[in-house]
Amino acid sequence: MRARLPRIGLYAALMAILVIVIFPFWWMVDTSLKHPVDIFGGVTLYPHSPTGDNYRRLFDTYHFGSYLVNSVVVVTVSVVVSLTIGTIAAYSLARFQLRWGLNQSALVVALLVRMIPGILLVIPLYITLAHWSLLNTRLGLILIYTGLNTSFVIWMMQSFIAEIPRDIEEAAMVDGDSRLTALWRVVVPLAAPGLAATAIFSVIVTYNDFLIALSLTSTPKAQTVPVGVSTLIGKIQIEFGPMAAAGVIGALPIIIFALIVQRHFVRGLTLGAVK
Amino acid sequence: MRLPAGPYLLLLPAAVALAGVSIYPLFYGVRASLTRYLYGRDYGYTGLTNYKNAIHDTFFQDAMVTTAKFVICTVTIETLLGLGLAVLVSRELRGSGLIRVGLILPMTIAPVVVGVMWRLILDSGVGVTDPLFQLLGLPAPEMLAHNGTAFIAVVMVDVWEWTPLIFLILLAGLQSLPQEPLEAALVDGAGRVRLFFDHTLPLLTPVLLVAIVLRTIDAIGTFDQIYVLTKGGPGTATRLISLHAYNTAFLFTQYGQAAAMLIMLLAAVTILMVVAVRMMRRVAR
Repeated sequence: MRARLPRIGLYAALMAILVIVIFPFWWMVDTSLKHPVDIFGGVTLYPHSPTGDNYRRLFDTYHFGSYLVNSVVVVTVSVVVSLTIGTIAAYSLARFQLRWGLNQSALVVALLVRMIPGILLVIPLYITLAHWSLLNTRLGLILIYTGLNTSFVIWMMQSFIAEIPRDIEEAAMVDGDSRLTALWRVVVPLAAPGLAATAIFSVIVTYNDFLIALSLTSTPKAQTVPVGVSTLIGKIQIEFGPMAAAGVIGALPIIIFALIVQRHFVRGLTLGAVK
Repeated sequence: MRLPAGPYLLLLPAAVALAGVSIYPLFYGVRASLTRYLYGRDYGYTGLTNYKNAIHDTFFQDAMVTTAKFVICTVTIETLLGLGLAVLVSRELRGSGLIRVGLILPMTIAPVVVGVMWRLILDSGVGVTDPLFQLLGLPAPEMLAHNGTAFIAVVMVDVWEWTPLIFLILLAGLQSLPQEPLEAALVDGAGRVRLFFDHTLPLLTPVLLVAIVLRTIDAIGTFDQIYVLTKGGPGTATRLISLHAYNTAFLFTQYGQAAAMLIMLLAAVTILMVVAVRMMRRVAR
């Protein structure tokens, strides 16, 4: 009995924490399904007459379709490219004894690039992209995200590849594979779970980025979903309904991805320091 | 290996990509900080003028102080809460899997969306907080409209978003600790509290420090949520260095002065990053 009472208190505390975590999500979904009158009409914990109007207006008047397309294109291309070049580099670092202490120093450089706060990069990147006439283009964003993701891919994949025994690929090479075909046919399939986790993390980080996209794009031609969400906050008036709907659309794919990789989450967020 | 250059060639594409987002912009950043810009146009070398102007700019000083306050408040609260939670949950509890999944959500979604969610809750027109206070017979706080409460609000939102990170890191750390010394101490009659401070905490310290340094670096660069919640206002109450630099560059097109501010900030952050890398490699080993 002495042990049971604190245990009930513990569960109550954990329930309270879960409510605090979940409520903002629910409130956003709730608001996104309400008519404007109901949004301003006091607190109601569920939409009494649900409507899809906010979502419709998002796509009809607020260019959300093009924000989504931009996000999908930019995220897909930059993640695919950075996974390819990053995995190849990680393979080299994991398998060869390189000169000039590159095995260690390259990893440290990759980690440092990953950690630099975005605000420190945007002004030079803005000037650079202006120089190359790449401001407000998807290509400009793709190039930058590719570089940033590559650092993460190298760092993660180096440790995943190092965990794979060498013998297997050496056997493949005895059977006539070259280095690169052995990498493709033997190492990549074995590293697939790590590769998938790395890919999903890259997708999440890239899709969520706001500051770089905000600074380097200016029209729906190249703006991404998070920038699109922020355009609904006007100087005088905020479109609360569409803003909530935009938030829901911005969060949904990411939540699904996050649930897939939740096992690898700590490793990803601490850049591999804690497994 | 027939081709001795092979392994280096494999590194080349990635090296180019990394240099493109680090060395190259850094070079441009230093150059911009030494350049005079007028209405966004380049008027040539100007020495250290931008640095002097930045240091004497009272808004820059204010922003640095606000950033320091913000980082200290958020990281302290998050560390204490995260540690407490991790210790609570690390004992095998039914449903702790659910808690873990739930706590992942705030830090996965875009910080912009976090800003949107909390704007919908805190806003005086459509929010929940004001009616809640009125229900309790208290005056409506209008949190985003007043200096003090707006600062509290952005700290609170950051705590909501990032406590889970510290929690998950520490939980992983706690679960990887060796159990035998703890059990031996328990058998010897050590109390739970003594046990925590004498045994668990020292063993956990390396992981804890990694969590704190990573979080500090991130907190210094906080931008998105505040941009959505308050845009740095009211007045300058929540204008962190990131927002001030952004405004200086993109509203007032003073690229040179903004670059100078950021390079001074980079110096500070670099020290932290080097510390972080050293600690992380020790923990990972």
